[in-house]
Amino acid sequence: MKIIFKFIPVYFFIAFIIRGQDNLSIQFDYAQNLFDGQQYFDAITEYKRLLFFDSENKYSFRANMKIGECYKAGAKYDDAVKYFSVAELTAGSEDEIFESKLEIIRSNILRRTTGRALQLCDDLENDLRFGSKSDDINYWRGWAFIFADDWKNASKSFGKINPYHELKLLADRTDKAKVSVTFAKVISYILPGAGAIYCGNFLSGLMSLGWNALSGYWTINSFVEKRAFDGIVAGELVWLRFYRGAIQNAETIAIEKNIDITNNSLRFLQYEYKGIKP
Amino acid sequence: MNIKFQTIKLLAAFLIISVLLNDVCGQSITSENYFSSSNRLAFGSHLYKEKDYLRALGEFKEYLRSNENDTVQFRMANCYLRIGRHEEAADNFKLLFYGSSVTDESRLMFYKSLFSRNDYKSFREYTLRENYLPQSYIGEIERLKYITFFLDNSVMPKEDEMLAPFPDSVRSQISKFYLNKKFPKQKSVSAAVLLSAIIPGAGKIYTGDIGDGLTVFVATALSAYLAYSNFKNDHQFRGWLFTGLTAFFYGGNIYGSAASAQIYNARIRFNFDNEVKLFFEQRNYFLPKMDL
Repeated sequence: MKIIFKFIPVYFFIAFIIRGQDNLSIQFDYAQNLFDGQQYFDAITEYKRLLFFDSENKYSFRANMKIGECYKAGAKYDDAVKYFSVAELTAGSEDEIFESKLEIIRSNILRRTTGRALQLCDDLENDLRFGSKSDDINYWRGWAFIFADDWKNASKSFGKINPYHELKLLADRTDKAKVSVTFAKVISYILPGAGAIYCGNFLSGLMSLGWNALSGYWTINSFVEKRAFDGIVAGELVWLRFYRGAIQNAETIAIEKNIDITNNSLRFLQYEYKGIKP
Repeated sequence: MNIKFQTIKLLAAFLIISVLLNDVCGQSITSENYFSSSNRLAFGSHLYKEKDYLRALGEFKEYLRSNENDTVQFRMANCYLRIGRHEEAADNFKLLFYGSSVTDESRLMFYKSLFSRNDYKSFREYTLRENYLPQSYIGEIERLKYITFFLDNSVMPKEDEMLAPFPDSVRSQISKFYLNKKFPKQKSVSAAVLLSAIIPGAGKIYTGDIGDGLTVFVATALSAYLAYSNFKNDHQFRGWLFTGLTAFFYGGNIYGSAASAQIYNARIRFNFDNEVKLFFEQRNYFLPKMDL
């Protein structure tokens, strides 16, 4: 009889160790496998099934987070934000709340609603519960600025984490390489073609300068020779056209150059940067 | 000693078998449960309610493999309709035409599926098949048929005939649509070209582009004057230069007027189509809500 009593705890211990998984965890694993296999549509279905049968909301946070991730992977950011927000409501700890909020910020960065992402970063920063997470907040704030093409502020945010942070250095390089569109236009007002030369487009700049010099000569020469009407026509239809063209050209070249510089940095972030991305 | 040893063996065997049974059966039985017919139906209905029609469709399909249920069949067809697979929706509604509890509703939705395909000519042909028409919804089908005339370029029936199936409250609006469709307020391309040929810019003014019209008139007149003035003063080269410029402006003005009239007409058509679509969409094409 004593032996039977000795066996009872052993029985329960072994049963506990090698017990079969409960339905919900099997379902979660199943959905997780689909997620890992990048079958996001099916994964969402199975996570939703899990949520439907999970009457005690044991998996509410995890499943909603995963559904959000699936939608994010499929570039359906509105849906992703919706599910991350539900996950936030069902979070059981501060870490989970923080995790879901960060995911919302990341989705906002990706869908280019950077204003909202920055606002959420500020909210998190002002929340005393997350005082120790300032590096994470600054990191994603920096990314939000990158997606808003504001490299100066991005550099400041990454600099708060570490003055030699890889992304700070990249943001600094990008900001330094960019040209000022206003400056390019202003110097073109003073000397046609100078804006294009400032942006490194020498041929275009010199041609602009040449056309302006020639048409200017025609115009002035007409007035000197007392052919006022010819002077007005040449000035209006030729010189003014080239003069305005030089300014517009400088603006276009400066914008295109900045886009090129930004795209190069974004390409680096997409393909070569090893850290966490939105 | 022997009895004790036997008891231990017995208990050990019981332990192993019971744990294994719990493990193996527990997993296989319970993991199937979420995918049983009744659970699929419950989950599918939940998704349907959440308007996740694509996923609901999958669940209903699985359910119907082993069960027959008119409501589920109807919902599945409706899922197809909601996700824009109109052909499959029509085919599935058709399955409920005879001997089902939702015959009339299915027939109405069948017509709605055909209507949603935007093949209005074929839709009108189907409305002539009397054995398909839902007896309780004849009026709805009739209205849909007349709505199709606003949405394609078929010859319009008589106004009285068109207005008859619609409620009094909307007849004046539909009458307005009818007149706009039958006699669109369009500008004649030929008139625009002719006007521009006589007075440069007049065609553009006729199509409402007053600013453009005046600019064209001034530019053509100025270059013509410059050509005349230069020839008069024996500046042959400049005379021909401005003559060419005048011809260019004149030709461009005629071409531009024709284009302007076409753009004007396209805009009128586009606005009218949008207005009509919005009007009927807001009223769900005068169809009852079908949520089984």
